[in-house]
Amino acid sequence: MFRRIVAAGILVLLAGGLVLLRIYNPATSTIFPPCPIHYLTGWYCPGCGSLRAIHQLLLGNVGAAWAMNPLSMLLFPFLTYGLSREAISYLRGQPSPQFAVPGACIRALCALIVLFGIVRNLPFHPFDLLAPGGMLKF
Amino acid sequence: MAVCPQCGFSNADNATFCTHCGRSLQSPAAAPPLQATGVVVPPIGTTIPNYLVFAILTTVLCCLPTGIPAIIYASQVNTKLQLGDVAGAQAASNNAKMWCWISFGLGLVMFVGYGLVATLGVIGSLHRR
Repeated sequence: MFRRIVAAGILVLLAGGLVLLRIYNPATSTIFPPCPIHYLTGWYCPGCGSLRAIHQLLLGNVGAAWAMNPLSMLLFPFLTYGLSREAISYLRGQPSPQFAVPGACIRALCALIVLFGIVRNLPFHPFDLLAPGGMLKF
Repeated sequence: MAVCPQCGFSNADNATFCTHCGRSLQSPAAAPPLQATGVVVPPIGTTIPNYLVFAILTTVLCCLPTGIPAIIYASQVNTKLQLGDVAGAQAASNNAKMWCWISFGLGLVMFVGYGLVATLGVIGSLHRR
C-alpha cells in the first residue's frame, strides 16, 4: 500500500512536470531551474537542453528536440524502458532490476556522455552544432 | 527398474550404484557441479541492482561530476557478476546507489536554492516599486 502511494505520488509529480513543460517553454520561461553547471561555469553539460528538448517533443517538433540535445533524445527510449522496469519492480516489492548490459558497454556510454559534454562546448564548426539549439542556427 | 547408463545393466529401483559396473545411478543434476572452467556462476535468483537508469538520469539531469562515479560503479556491478565476484558486485552496487543519492541530493539542493533565489528576487522587485 505504501509503495502504491509513493508510486502514485511520483506519477503525479511527473505528469505535473510534463504538463508544465507542455505549456511553458524552458527557453523563455524562468519557472524551470537552470542547469547548475551552466549557471556556475557557463559551460554546457551533457544534459543541457534536455528540458527544452522534452518541451519540443511534447509539441511534436522532433527536429527541434533533436537540435536541443541529440544525446538525450538517443537515450530517451532506453531511459523510459528502464524507468518502467524500475517502477514495476518497485510496485512488486522486488529489488531494483539488474540490467544485463556488459560492464564495458556501460563504461563506453559513460565516456560518450563525458565526451559529448566536452565537444559541445567547442565554439567551432561542426561541434557548435551539438550545443543546445546549435542545429537551428544554420 | 533403473537401467545403468554406462553398461545397460538393469538394477533395482532404489539402487544408487550399478551392481554390474559400479557407476552412480543418480541423475546428473544431483551430482556436484564441475568447476573445471573456473567460471563461478552466481546463484540463480541473485539480482544485484546496478542502478544504471538512475545513474544516467542523475548525471544528465542533475549534476555531472557526481553522476560519473555512479555510472562507473554501475558498470562494475555487471563486470564483477560476470566474473563471479558476488561480494564485489554487491559493494559496487552499494556505491552506485550512494552516488545516485548524492547526485540527486545535490540536484535537489540546486533546485531548492534556485527556487529561494527566484522567490527572493520577486520579493525584492516588489519592494522597489
